[in-house]
Amino acid sequence: MTETLTRFSDFIPQGAMYFYREKSIYCRYQYALRDAVDPALLQQAVDAALAAADYFKMKLVREKRTVYLEENDRPFTVSLGSALKAMPEETDGYLFNVSCEGDTVYFDWFHFLADGHGVSRFLTRILMEYCNRRYGAGFACPPLASAPAYDMDALVARDPTAGQTGLPDVEPMQPEAGRLVRSMVRLDKQSLVDAALACGVKPVSALLGLLCLAMQPLVGRERVEYCYSTDTRRVLGVPGAFYNCVASFRHGVDAGPAVRLAGIAPDIDADLKASLVPDVQLGQMAKMMSWVVRVDALKAPLKIKRRVFSMGEAMGNFPADFWISYLGDPLDPDRNYPPALNDYIRDFEVWVPPDGASVGFEVASFRGQLIVCIQDKLGRAGLSEALCAACGREGVRVLAAKEVGPALPYQE
Amino acid sequence: MSRTEILAQIVGILEDVAEISPDEVTEDSVLMDDLDLSSMEILTIVADLEETFGIRIPEKELRSFVTISDLADYLSARVG
Repeated sequence: MTETLTRFSDFIPQGAMYFYREKSIYCRYQYALRDAVDPALLQQAVDAALAAADYFKMKLVREKRTVYLEENDRPFTVSLGSALKAMPEETDGYLFNVSCEGDTVYFDWFHFLADGHGVSRFLTRILMEYCNRRYGAGFACPPLASAPAYDMDALVARDPTAGQTGLPDVEPMQPEAGRLVRSMVRLDKQSLVDAALACGVKPVSALLGLLCLAMQPLVGRERVEYCYSTDTRRVLGVPGAFYNCVASFRHGVDAGPAVRLAGIAPDIDADLKASLVPDVQLGQMAKMMSWVVRVDALKAPLKIKRRVFSMGEAMGNFPADFWISYLGDPLDPDRNYPPALNDYIRDFEVWVPPDGASVGFEVASFRGQLIVCIQDKLGRAGLSEALCAACGREGVRVLAAKEVGPALPYQE
Repeated sequence: MSRTEILAQIVGILEDVAEISPDEVTEDSVLMDDLDLSSMEILTIVADLEETFGIRIPEKELRSFVTISDLADYLSARVG
């Protein structure tokens, strides 16, 4: 492990944006399995997965002006129940947690450690190790290595705003905050694909359009602003990276009461496709990471660094009306896992608090459904109903909708 | 807190953050041009002022802080 300590430190800048945010972002993936979970076998599975992926066997060390990672030599303990814990304070220094209750396994992690794309390989490995022990599934489980850290200097050199010294000429949008509540809508994936085809756009663009139509009455103006992140592993040449590796974009669309999906989806699709152009992705990521690196270098207490980071993000025009994270396949967006694993998993949910927006939509594709997990900081009644109504008007079939209740602890 | 005391706090923070001598600072000093402050330094100064005065300054106010006097006026109205 000693040999890799330097490498761990090199990873920090990629995740540091989540450390400098004023509120810790804890993420939850939860998988309902086909039978009640055996905690002892789950413990064995986590131990085996940690032995295969030492990137996750580390702890966060905070000092007055800095933060770094080092090997965590304490054992990891699977907990019983569904409570979300503060990480690392309540998790023996670990930046993730695994717990179980009934038939469900809860995976929680601090966003500092990894993004959803990166962490899913580790979480899926835990499930594979568990199924091997519980069902004799026989999944092969070789060591899981992260790609090495990318060249931060080379990336930052691509920052299109380098050399600009003034404050950006933007009107910052203050994300509204109140009592965070959760709701969930399940959509029939094929009917969304059909709606997208009718508009000549990608399915995710059609989904974005539906979310804009649902949000418009709630934001009180025609223009609806949204943000999303695109995965940058491939363009950076680090496809196996566990660490955070994204470029985030903000766009908007006019979605007044008379607007239909076909009227906005093409523009949304064009913006989305433009943000997937490798040079655009790298330039945007360079802009984001340039800011992280500059804040990281500040000779100031962490509290001041966090506030500076937050103001910079607001001036960088990121806060929006809603965030959407489209996870794709929650077991691994690249689908590098044995398809038979799906036989053991019955359902999936994802809960990540919106950051920089009033509403967050986390969307996973699983078993022919699009599972839309919604967190609204303003606790507005009618958001899931508005989405269902928008889907109904556009021929997208709603399979289920429900209010889930208040936010999880630490996600309020 | 008087405007003079607020100005003294601002000047002190300028010295800490950007190593600008108090002698170089007047109420009319323009943050970016006269004092040659970068956007990062301005945000750090604002964060320090928030900490000092126990207030939160909305991001939409940031672009209105052109001179030292603008900062002092804003703070005087809230903590004066």
